[in-house]
Amino acid sequence: MKRHLLAIFVLFSIQAHAGEEGLSHVQVQTSLAAIQRGAETFMGQCHSCHTLKYMHYGDLKHFGMDQHKVDEWRGDQALDAVISSQMSDEAALQSFAKVPPDLSLMTKAREGGPDYVYSYLLGYYTDKDGMTANHVFPATKMPDILGGSMTSDAAQLEAIRKQAGDIVSFLTWVADPHEQERQRLGYYVLAYLMVLTVLLYLVKNRIWSRLK
Amino acid sequence: MANDETLAQPGRRDFLTQITAAVGGVGVAAACVPFVASMNPSSDVLAKATTEVDISHIPPDGVHTVPWQGKPVFIFHRTEEQIKQMQASNGVLDPATDKTRVQQPQWLVVVGVCTHMGCVPNKEGPGWVCHCHGSEYDDSGRVIRGPAPKNLEVPPYHFVDDSRIVIGVA
Amino acid sequence: MANKIIAWVDRRFPLTSFVKHELTGYPTPRNLSYWWNFGFLAGFVLVLQVVTGIFLAMHYKADVNLSFDSIQHIMRDVNYGWLLRYMHATGASAFFLVIFIHMARTLYYGSYRRPRELLWWTGQGLLILLMATAFMGYLLPWGQMSFWGATVITNLFRATPFVGDQIVIWLRGDFTVGDATLTRFFALHYLFPFLIVGAVVVHLVALHTVKSSNPSGIDLSHKDNIPFHPYFTAKDFYGLGWFLIVYCVFVFFYPDSLMEPANNIPANPMLTPNHIVPEWYFLPFYAILRSVPNMVGGVVAMGLSVMIFAFMPYLDRSRIPGGAHYRPVYRVLVYIFALDMLVLGYVGYTPPTDGTILLGQIAAFVYFMTFLCLPFISKAEENWLLKRGFHPELEALVAAEQSAIALRNGGGVK
Repeated sequence: MKRHLLAIFVLFSIQAHAGEEGLSHVQVQTSLAAIQRGAETFMGQCHSCHTLKYMHYGDLKHFGMDQHKVDEWRGDQALDAVISSQMSDEAALQSFAKVPPDLSLMTKAREGGPDYVYSYLLGYYTDKDGMTANHVFPATKMPDILGGSMTSDAAQLEAIRKQAGDIVSFLTWVADPHEQERQRLGYYVLAYLMVLTVLLYLVKNRIWSRLK
Repeated sequence: MANDETLAQPGRRDFLTQITAAVGGVGVAAACVPFVASMNPSSDVLAKATTEVDISHIPPDGVHTVPWQGKPVFIFHRTEEQIKQMQASNGVLDPATDKTRVQQPQWLVVVGVCTHMGCVPNKEGPGWVCHCHGSEYDDSGRVIRGPAPKNLEVPPYHFVDDSRIVIGVA
Repeated sequence: MANKIIAWVDRRFPLTSFVKHELTGYPTPRNLSYWWNFGFLAGFVLVLQVVTGIFLAMHYKADVNLSFDSIQHIMRDVNYGWLLRYMHATGASAFFLVIFIHMARTLYYGSYRRPRELLWWTGQGLLILLMATAFMGYLLPWGQMSFWGATVITNLFRATPFVGDQIVIWLRGDFTVGDATLTRFFALHYLFPFLIVGAVVVHLVALHTVKSSNPSGIDLSHKDNIPFHPYFTAKDFYGLGWFLIVYCVFVFFYPDSLMEPANNIPANPMLTPNHIVPEWYFLPFYAILRSVPNMVGGVVAMGLSVMIFAFMPYLDRSRIPGGAHYRPVYRVLVYIFALDMLVLGYVGYTPPTDGTILLGQIAAFVYFMTFLCLPFISKAEENWLLKRGFHPELEALVAAEQSAIALRNGGGVK
C-alpha cells in the first residue's frame, strides 16, 4: 500500500509537469522592485490593449508601489477603478479581429504557467517569408511588442529577456496577490503542526504504555 | 473486553496531556480566526468606506443626498437666515448647539437615517420630517418632535478644499 | 456543578450511557494498525469540507455571469477567502485520497467479509454520494474545465434507454449546461454533504453493531479489546497531526498543483479546451469509460467499475481468516489491482492515442477480471492453504483463539 501512495504522488508530478516541454524556464521574482518594474513595463507596453479586470489601481498602491507612478498610470481614473485597457473592444476587433485577452489570470491559465508567458513573449522570430511568427503560440495576433525578433544584439536581447522576466513576475503577482502572505502563514502553520504532532505522539505513547 | 476496568479510566490528566490539549486548543482557536474574519467587510467593500463629494454645485437652501457606506448622507447648503435661526436655538429633545454639529456654518452634513427606526426623513419646509412615525428635525438635524430620541448623526468628514468634502474620515 | 448538569441531562437523555457505550467503553481490537486511522480522517475531512463550504457559500454567486468573478472576489477581496477556497479545493482531493486508502485497507484486510457486508455497502453508498457531490462542486467555479466536465458527464445519461436525450435536458434544465444547471448543482452541492452526514451515522451504527475488524481477521471480541477512548482517540489524533501536515503543505505551498490551468479561463460554450480531463480521483473510472468503443457500453462499464466493489463479500469465497498478508494469492491479486488502478489513472490523464487506448482496454479488462476470477481463485487458494498449512502467525492465532473459546466454555485446554 505504501507503493500505492508513492505512485499517486508520481501521478501528481506527471500532472504538474505535463506540457512544459519547449518552454524556457523563468525565475519568478517576488520582490517589490521587480514587480514594480514589471508593472511599469506592463503599463507602457501591454496596457494599451490588455486589461487586468480583477485588479484596481489602489491594489498596486496598497502593495507598496510608488504612489506617483500609480497616479501617473491611472491618469484621471479613480484609485479604485479597474485596470482596463486604453483600447475599446470595437477598436481591438477592427485591428486584431479579436479582443485581446484579460491578463489577470494568464500565468495560471496556461500549462507551464509563468514559463509559458515568458517563452511566449520571447518566442517571436522572423520566418522565411519575412513575417513575424511565434513558436509558442503560432496563431497569435499580437505583434512582437518587446522586439526580440528584430535585434541580434546580445546586450539588447539580454535587456528584453529581463523585461519579459519582470512582466511575468508582475503578472504572477497579479494572478495570485496573496501568494507571499500564504507562504509566510504556511511556515507558521507547519511549524505549529509539527510541534502539535510531536506532542500528540508523546501523549499517545503515554496512554498506550499503560497496556504493557 | 479486557477485564481490567482501569483500562477504561482516562486517569488523572497528566502534565503532558494538559499541555497538548492547550496547544491543540490554541490551534483550534487560531483556525477560527480566518472563518470569523471572512465575514467582515471584504477589501472591495472597505474601499468604499469613504466617499468624496463635490459640493460646489449645491445652491443655497439646496440639499444634495449622496450614498456613503450604503446610507444616504444629506449635504445641506444653509442660507444666512437659516444659520442665524439655528445658532439661536439649542435643540429640543437632544440639546446640542449648532456649532457642535457643523464644521463650516453654511454646510450641514448629516446621515439621513431617522434615529427612531431607521427610515429616511424628507426635506419639508424648515428641517426634515420622517414619514414612518412623524419625527421632525430642524435645519441643524436636531430632533424637535418625537418619537425619535436623538439628533441626526453627523458622520466623520473633512473638507479637502472649499468645494470638496470626504465623508468617512474626520 | 458539572456533575449536576450531567445528572440533569442524564435523567432526560442517555448522555453518559451513550458516551460509555460508544466511546469510553466501546471495545476495540488493540492490534489495529495505522491503516485503521483513515475512517476517522474521512470524518474529519467531511467536517472540514462542510465548514469551509458554508463560509464559501456566503460569498459565492451561482449565476453564469457572476460565478467566475465571485470566485476571484473570494480569492482577492474576502478576508482569508483564498485560504477558505484552497482548503475546500484541496479538501476535495484529500477526501478522495483518504477514502481510497480506507477502501484499500478494507480490501487488503478483507474487512468487507461476513458479518460486515452491510457496513461495506453503506460505505459504497457514501462513495457514490461523495463522487456526486465532488462532481457538482466542480461545476461551481464556472471555468472551462468545470463546464466541459459537466457537459461530458451529464451526457453520459444519454445512454439511458429510450429517454436518454430527455433525461440529459431534464438534468441540465437547459439544452446545454447553463444557468439552470449551475443553480441546481449549487443547491444540490449544498444539500448532499448533509446526506453524507446522515449516511455516515448509518455507517457508524453498523460499525458499532459488528465492531471493528482487525489485521488478524479473527474475531477478537471476547479478548484483547481495549476501550476506544482514550487509546484510539489518542492514536487517531496523532494520525490527524500527520494528515494535517501533508494537507497544509498542499494548501499553503502547492494549492494549484491539484487544479487544471484551463479552469482559470471562464467557461466558453463555443470552445472546448484541447485536453479535457476529470479530477485525478475520477481518472481510473474515466479511463474505463473511454476504453469501451460503444457509448452505452462505456457508461455501463464505468458504472459497473464503481459498483462492483459492493459484490466483494460474495466474490471472495475464501474462509481463511485474516487479510491479504495471510493469503499469498489474494495478496498478489490486490497488488495487481492497485497497479492496474494506477495504469488506468495514467491512461485517463493522457490524451487518447492508439497506444493509450489499447493500454486502457487491457487495464480495464484486468480490472474486471480481478473481480470476476476472484470466486474461483479464492476458493482454490483456500483449498491450497488448507492442504499446505497456514501462515505460522495465523496458525498461532487460530490456536490461541480455540483455546480461548475452550476456556470461555468452561473446558480446559486440550
